[in-house]
Amino acid sequence: MMNDSLFSLVCAGEIFELKAELNSDKKEKKKEAVKKVIASMTVGKDVSALFPDVVNCMQTDNLELKKLVYLYLMNYAKSQPDMAIMAVNTFVKDCEDPNPLIRALAVRTMGCIRVDKITEYLCEPLRKCLKDEDPYVRKTAAVCVAKLHDINAQLVEDQGFLDTLKDLISDSNPMVVANAVAALSEIAESHPNSNLLDLNPQTINKLLTALNECTEWGQIFILDCLANYTPRDDRESQSICERVTPRLSHANSAVVLSAVKVLMKFMEMLPKDLDYYGTLLKKLAPPLVTLLSAEPELQYVALRNINLIVQRRPEILKHEMKVFFVKYNDPIYVKLEKLDIMIRLASQANIAQVLAELKEYATEVDVDFVRKAVRAIGRCAIKVEQSAERCVSTLLDLIQTKVNYVVQEAIVVIKDIFRKYPNKYESVIATLCENLDSLDEPEARAAMIWIVGEYAERIDNADELLESFLEGFHDESTQVQLQLLTAIVKLFLKKPTETQELVQQVLSLATQDSDNPDLRDRGYIYWRLLSTDPVAAKEVVLAEKPLISEETDLIEPTLLEELICHIGTLASVYHKPPSAFVEGSRGVQHKRLPGSAGSGESVESPDTGSAAGVSEAPPAVIPSQGDLLGDLLNLDLTPPTTTGPPPPSSGMQMGAMDLLGGGLDSLMGAGFGAPPAAMPASFTAPVSGGLDDLFDLGGGVGMPMGAYSPPKTVWLPAMKAKGLEISGTFARRAGVIQMEMTLTNKAMSVMTDFAIQFNRNSFGLAPAGPLQVLTPLSPNQSIEVTLPLNTVGPVMKMEPLNNLQVTDVHIYLYHKSHYYLHSRQVFLATWKDIPNDNESQFQIKDCHLNSDAASNKLQGSNIFTIAKRTVEGQDMLYQSMKLTNGIWVLAELRVQAGNPNYTISLKCRAPEVSQCVFQSYEAVLKN
Amino acid sequence: MISQVFILSSKGDHLIYKDFRGEAGSDVVSIFYEKVTALTGDQPPVVMVTPHKREQHSHKDLHFVHVRQGGLYWVATTTANSSPFTVIEFLNRLTALIKDYCGSLSEKSVQMNFALIYELLDEVVDYGYVQTTSSDVLKNFIQTEAVSSRPFSLFDLSNIGLFGAETQQSKVAPSSAATRPIQSSREQGGKSEIFVDVIERMSVVIGSNGVLMKADVEGEIRVKCYMPSCSEMRIGLNEEFSIGKSQLRGYGAAVRVDECSFHQAVRLDEFDSHRILRLSPSQGEQTVMQYQLSDDLPSAPPFRLFPTIERDSGGRLLMYMKLRCDLPPKRSLNVDCCCYCGFSLSQELSSPDQSAELRPQSRAVVWQIPRFPGGTQLSALFKLEVPGLSSASMLEVGPVGLSFELPKITATGLQIRFLRLTPVQPSPSQRWVRYVTHSDSYTIRI
Repeated sequence: MMNDSLFSLVCAGEIFELKAELNSDKKEKKKEAVKKVIASMTVGKDVSALFPDVVNCMQTDNLELKKLVYLYLMNYAKSQPDMAIMAVNTFVKDCEDPNPLIRALAVRTMGCIRVDKITEYLCEPLRKCLKDEDPYVRKTAAVCVAKLHDINAQLVEDQGFLDTLKDLISDSNPMVVANAVAALSEIAESHPNSNLLDLNPQTINKLLTALNECTEWGQIFILDCLANYTPRDDRESQSICERVTPRLSHANSAVVLSAVKVLMKFMEMLPKDLDYYGTLLKKLAPPLVTLLSAEPELQYVALRNINLIVQRRPEILKHEMKVFFVKYNDPIYVKLEKLDIMIRLASQANIAQVLAELKEYATEVDVDFVRKAVRAIGRCAIKVEQSAERCVSTLLDLIQTKVNYVVQEAIVVIKDIFRKYPNKYESVIATLCENLDSLDEPEARAAMIWIVGEYAERIDNADELLESFLEGFHDESTQVQLQLLTAIVKLFLKKPTETQELVQQVLSLATQDSDNPDLRDRGYIYWRLLSTDPVAAKEVVLAEKPLISEETDLIEPTLLEELICHIGTLASVYHKPPSAFVEGSRGVQHKRLPGSAGSGESVESPDTGSAAGVSEAPPAVIPSQGDLLGDLLNLDLTPPTTTGPPPPSSGMQMGAMDLLGGGLDSLMGAGFGAPPAAMPASFTAPVSGGLDDLFDLGGGVGMPMGAYSPPKTVWLPAMKAKGLEISGTFARRAGVIQMEMTLTNKAMSVMTDFAIQFNRNSFGLAPAGPLQVLTPLSPNQSIEVTLPLNTVGPVMKMEPLNNLQVTDVHIYLYHKSHYYLHSRQVFLATWKDIPNDNESQFQIKDCHLNSDAASNKLQGSNIFTIAKRTVEGQDMLYQSMKLTNGIWVLAELRVQAGNPNYTISLKCRAPEVSQCVFQSYEAVLKN
Repeated sequence: MISQVFILSSKGDHLIYKDFRGEAGSDVVSIFYEKVTALTGDQPPVVMVTPHKREQHSHKDLHFVHVRQGGLYWVATTTANSSPFTVIEFLNRLTALIKDYCGSLSEKSVQMNFALIYELLDEVVDYGYVQTTSSDVLKNFIQTEAVSSRPFSLFDLSNIGLFGAETQQSKVAPSSAATRPIQSSREQGGKSEIFVDVIERMSVVIGSNGVLMKADVEGEIRVKCYMPSCSEMRIGLNEEFSIGKSQLRGYGAAVRVDECSFHQAVRLDEFDSHRILRLSPSQGEQTVMQYQLSDDLPSAPPFRLFPTIERDSGGRLLMYMKLRCDLPPKRSLNVDCCCYCGFSLSQELSSPDQSAELRPQSRAVVWQIPRFPGGTQLSALFKLEVPGLSSASMLEVGPVGLSFELPKITATGLQIRFLRLTPVQPSPSQRWVRYVTHSDSYTIRI
């Protein structure tokens, strides 16, 4: 790199020389001097001191010299605005020059000089040039309007340039049309609501005509503009598609990709049974394949786009598997993308071929690539059931190579295969166990521990294996620690006699010696479960696990739709919406695919249209938090369908978490310590009343009778506990410490089966008798409960004593059958399962809650938010409820900040209830 | 939209810097260079985002798109959600254009022609919008003349070169003939010539059992024109040339490709009936036609490998390789054979002019064969020292890749039947047709 300041020092003498040359009489000498100036400018020397001398050279009939001077002006005018004025006269004169090249040059350069004073003088010449007889001047002037708009938008509007620009769309010269479209598109982006680019069938027709005649770059502007148009009906969209299709065979791949974008978007409008739809699908494949023969840089961009297209319409490329096979000299970034697409396209028909390829890749040199290839084999097994056996044997072959990272990856994916096909491939466990010592990555260790725990009964020395991990417990990563804890508990439940000591050891390691709240909490839960009810513990810990699905890494449908609208752009490469990386107003408009013509709702509002699109999207997936593996590991504790407190280990069990989190934390003030990250924040708000009361209690234990007993305060507001409100206090009556509670059912339905459990606490508080709630609690009924306590429970010293951050009392609440705990996956599967016809959409008007408040409010009515996403300021809540008669209703609620109108889509097997559900939503939200 | 374009030498010197939209300062050039040199090896070099916190222009994200050609970095920046595809295509076109105008692409030629390049950039991009990259259109606007880094002399033409030309019996153009600025033909009365190159890239995968698993060819016809007065050119392809699987023409062995795309200037009215491409070539280089063929090559792949891998008593891995070339005997080629494995090596080769070496960083043995006559077979024995040899180590000996260049051969069999220019050129015009097939990825699995 050059040192700029040094350079400018050195050339002080040079500047003097240049000055002399610039003022020379000889044209050639002048030209050479200006060239030298520009050369210095390029390498970063400061030659602004020569400004007046260079400007003096401007008045010349030599076009070459003039261009050089203009080049200089563009660079330095901004730093020397006063002197730039000197050039204005020449500019204005040049704009009248008989030579169109000079006219265009002047107007182009003037637009590039971003000095306010100059823009004033620009208006008149620009107006003339916009109507110039020469198309070259007109096309330059069209772009100049965009330049001027960037400097002074108001001026452009006042001068009426926008209308002139609109007229240029009908120009006879295609290049002028293209530039006018480009300029208008850019200006329109900064005025989202103006209808500058008033796209109607007439203008579209003009654009399509210009498309055939203009240069390849102009075609790109026009196609990008077309992509923003929403055709009125399927016939119009078909006719546009027909006229765009020839662009697919263009040599410029940017044109091809822009055409693909238009077609992908307008295809949404076409009914699927139309012959033309099939034809179009077939036509899309070859150009996409052709893109892959370009340079690696282009290939990479193409592959990122194909990845989106394959997710949206897998049928386009389903026969083209071979082109995605990796070449050994592909750069690694191309290889990884290809691998990803290969798995997306894998099906029963081509799996043998894919597997053979993957096996080859797994023996290659590049570590990252090999890892991904091994993982891909596992994903194939999960995706295509018929191939699972072959995949497993391939993985075993790979394990035999003893290459460290291959073995570890293989073990990680085999764990997933076990999850997908339980009780099928356990025979390989012995081979896996042989490699126990070579595992050094947390993910692989955790996977191996999971396998040992899960199949403890079939592994003779499972206890020894797990014990060996336990030695360095505190040096392990959290992932491994959690897994080890669970695995040992599983082992204990399976072989209680031999492993008592082991489980004691791990529980005390986890609860007493660990600083990690997740680990501690999980430890406590297990401990309590095991000590209170081993049968329940068995049901919880060894419960049936939901099967994993292969589609975890798909892009969620709404984002995918948006990205499809941005094919070919940076958004499609990053797989992020443009708003995530483009700041300011530009590009923030939310683009959506048009609704299908076939679906019932017409395109009355953009939201309705897109909702129809959502319901149509084949694999609707709500994004998983971490990667596939994170989820799978966490899943080992499944949401219980039995009664019993679920352990707070998994981010998936949102519903279960609500109970625990909402109930306990509000009572105890974050009694559980930091909640798992996936838990919505609203559930963890501590209620400080609980804290104070308990502290009072601490003081009150040793006091004489009749001591002050604080009034009852609300420990658990109804909206946090599915409608159960608990207020309470501690008192000492007749020498017995009592916990007095008022339970109020503020929900709509009956509650039964109450139970209470105390954690270990500083005072050894424990219930002296069972919680007596005899009657089922009907809606709006309150009940007074007094629970005698004693202090003979296990005492555990907590530091500091009055710090109720420490877990003290937990009340487990569970009531059956009012609602169901959904995991995201279950939600998703159900959503997909219900036919689209059953979807209905409503608007809830004038509701001024934000999404969190709404979610809380709904939760009060047993409508549970399973997942929440925020897309461009729009919150999507995915919710579910189960009616008392056993009907499930799934809902997607869209809340736009600042917009009091919500949109709700309901899906249900019995569509007739939708209306009632909608009404109850409305009622809940508005009260 | 393109915000800036700049060209950097491999050492990071600023050769050209042009700002189109005033969205970022020239400090980004050094930011880019720092980023690109910090990349280790093969990371996607296409698109990068700079962090938000930069000194002056911190309000917007910048995205860099770059390609490397002629040892230079060609970089464009953009702030909006524009199409990287367009930008890469544009950069590729820009390099081609500058190559056409300056004769060759190098640090020196770019430096010497900076004024010309600025002028070109000014015409090619306006306010970030690409206007045109056609040298035909541009020649109306461009004033600056190219400075050729190596004086071009007609004397070069009389030298004997390598490339054969079918249309002119025994005359052979020197390999440097096609690297000169297009303008010189106009101003300096340079020779009017036209070069038509048929270039094919072959990717082949042969399985460990010797079965051909995949064979693809990507090809293109490139025209490089130094002819100021040529109004129309007709390129005749094989008459039995067919596109797609269903369509077969004539009786003989058809020359078939799967897909075909043409430059927009090509007129195809005679293509269906007579397989003739008509175009008015613009000055400089352009790709007239691109095509692809997968799996169904008309001839067998040119090389076969017969590897044997075994363990000897001394705990070494023996790789015995026999490489056969199935090309006609007259040809003789330069072939590099590269076998992936990660061990130290001793070797026995069948001829002294061959060499083999182990490259530890790529974990490969490279066997170089400078002359490989067609129709013959060569063999090599590599003894590999493997620490802790086991049966699993054999699995680690990875695929063998070959790289080579086959002049005068097209894998698809595509030929240029004739090349006609109208109006008939005055005498000193010359037409050259060249064929070459490269190995893109020729892999033999073990």
